[in-house]
Amino acid sequence: MKRRTRRVRRRVVLRVMGAVALLTLWSFSGSSGQEVEERFPGVRLGLLYEGAFQPVLAIKPFSSRFGGEAAANQVEAIIARDLRYSDRFEIVDSLPASLVGEGVDYALWDQIGADWLVVGQVEGMGEEYRLILELHDVVYGELKGEARIPVPDPSSEEFRMAVHLASDALVFWITGEPGMAASRIAFSQRGADGAQELYLVDSDGETLRRITRHRGLLLSPSWSPDAARIAYSAMRGDSWRIYELNLETGAERVLPAVRSGDHYTPAYHPNGREIAFNVSGGGRSGLFTYNWMEECCLAQLAGGRSDDLSPTYSPDGRWLAFNSNRLGVATPQIYVMPSGGGEAELISPYVYGSGGHYNAPDWAPFGNRVAFHGRIRRGRYQILVAEIEDRGKRVVQLTSEGNNEDPSWAPDGRHLVFVGERSYGYGLFVVDAGSGRIRTLLSNVIARVPEWSPALGSPDAATLRGAQF
Amino acid sequence: MSHRHWILPVLALGLLLTSCKKEPPPAPEPEPVEQGPTGPDPDSLAAERARLDSIRAAEEARRRALEGARATLEEMVFFEFDQSRITPEAEAVLRRKVDVLRASPTVELRLAGHADERGSTEYNLALGSRRAESVRRFLAGFGLEADRFTTVSYGEEQPLVRRSDEEAWAQNRRVEFVITAGANEINPPRMSP
Repeated sequence: MKRRTRRVRRRVVLRVMGAVALLTLWSFSGSSGQEVEERFPGVRLGLLYEGAFQPVLAIKPFSSRFGGEAAANQVEAIIARDLRYSDRFEIVDSLPASLVGEGVDYALWDQIGADWLVVGQVEGMGEEYRLILELHDVVYGELKGEARIPVPDPSSEEFRMAVHLASDALVFWITGEPGMAASRIAFSQRGADGAQELYLVDSDGETLRRITRHRGLLLSPSWSPDAARIAYSAMRGDSWRIYELNLETGAERVLPAVRSGDHYTPAYHPNGREIAFNVSGGGRSGLFTYNWMEECCLAQLAGGRSDDLSPTYSPDGRWLAFNSNRLGVATPQIYVMPSGGGEAELISPYVYGSGGHYNAPDWAPFGNRVAFHGRIRRGRYQILVAEIEDRGKRVVQLTSEGNNEDPSWAPDGRHLVFVGERSYGYGLFVVDAGSGRIRTLLSNVIARVPEWSPALGSPDAATLRGAQF
Repeated sequence: MSHRHWILPVLALGLLLTSCKKEPPPAPEPEPVEQGPTGPDPDSLAAERARLDSIRAAEEARRRALEGARATLEEMVFFEFDQSRITPEAEAVLRRKVDVLRASPTVELRLAGHADERGSTEYNLALGSRRAESVRRFLAGFGLEADRFTTVSYGEEQPLVRRSDEEAWAQNRRVEFVITAGANEINPPRMSP
């Protein structure tokens, strides 16, 4: 009975904290009008999930056998950091080994205050290792999930990603939602020779590397839904063209020029076959789609005198959000239209005379949320999220310090990477839309147009069992 | 037309072979120079010097005019924030270009549009493109053939001044001009009578 009460208490606490947070936000938005230099009309400064209750997750020091000592510490450290970066839990780790004996003593962990307990053992297996991972529900005193995950040697390029998969499995067991530890971020960066190249970095800021050698300008990377290819626009000679890099083979191909002019801002359809992009030139600008798999079926969706660019598909592929200055050259806004073309609906918080300027939409991997950046008159750039509902929309502002541009959603649908400018320099930052926490992904880089990959592995497809979702 | 490509090398080879067979031609006899017993006439010498000076001055003037014409072609034009409209200042610059372009019908230009760092990276590509196109339309509006101009956008990726203030931004919102053809056939504008 005690456990059930605890479970009920957990829920009640969640509701109460939610209500308190909501009230706090209301009073904050009511009184802080003078402090914020320029307000986005009708936009609330806040979070997407009010008062998210954070369960306490304890990590028992990982054990090892058969020579697993060589990897155990690193595996544990990577998982602990991934779980912190997930922003879903209050983490209790670095516990003295003397505190925790053999087996799992639920009463002990309950006293420590843990709701969840992670137990890991790393075994040596010849050249490789195996991580035996367990998740215990301390409240109910039961095993919630268990997996045996093969882990290559720490010197291997695949080592970190294999461990990130374990972190995502834990997130999935607890929340039923996908994590984002096993993912990468592509972005454009200028090298010493002045040329822009495409770079990749892991979700935790490790393993930064360059993957192109164009020696020109390169922008707007877009991941294919299977994360095997990246499309981008680049200018090598006299005009911008769209390229696709196959990450497995290293092969590159160029999209045929569909008309004269520069080809910009590619985006894959969730079916992985079609891409949407912009062509600008000759006083005309338009959004096109092309089936790059079958090399056919060019279609123009929108365009004319105004610039319609930066397309992004909804997860079901039925809708397309994009940027357009059809309301006037100096007031670009964010619109949503059917992905085959049709009437476009404004979703950025435009109010006549407000001077709002909105760019760079990115549709979340699930849910009807579109992130973008915006500013009012000569104010600073901030990251905004529009939640499109049946009856209208709700727009929330996620950042308030410095300048913040070009958001892109993580595969967990709650984190966003963006380009930030702070008093101490430029960098790539990650904001959690659930808690509002911001962390630095890379500092002192002039990075452009970051694009977060889809999940690079599926936690439930591994040798996992015990997940009850 | 393609047979021209091999005619010239073959001719050159032929010339080389024949010249090798032949004896080198005898050095020409030096022309007898007529000189008065008292040496050169100082008056005619001064006149000759004046003539050469005037030629040099004319060449210098022409060189300067050509340099001026080239500089006129390459002079940048600037824009207001988030605008692709031609400003009055830019119009004055472009009108001078029109005069040079009319006198130099083989010259072709690449118009490269740039934006300042504010606004989105991708939106600024489109903005740079619109600025270049706006210049092309303006030039074509004077009866110059539109296909003498190609356009490209660099967005905000190649600032002229790497600073973040109003002055730098104003310098970075621009269209640059690159001569892509006829660089050796630039003529200064014809003076209107």
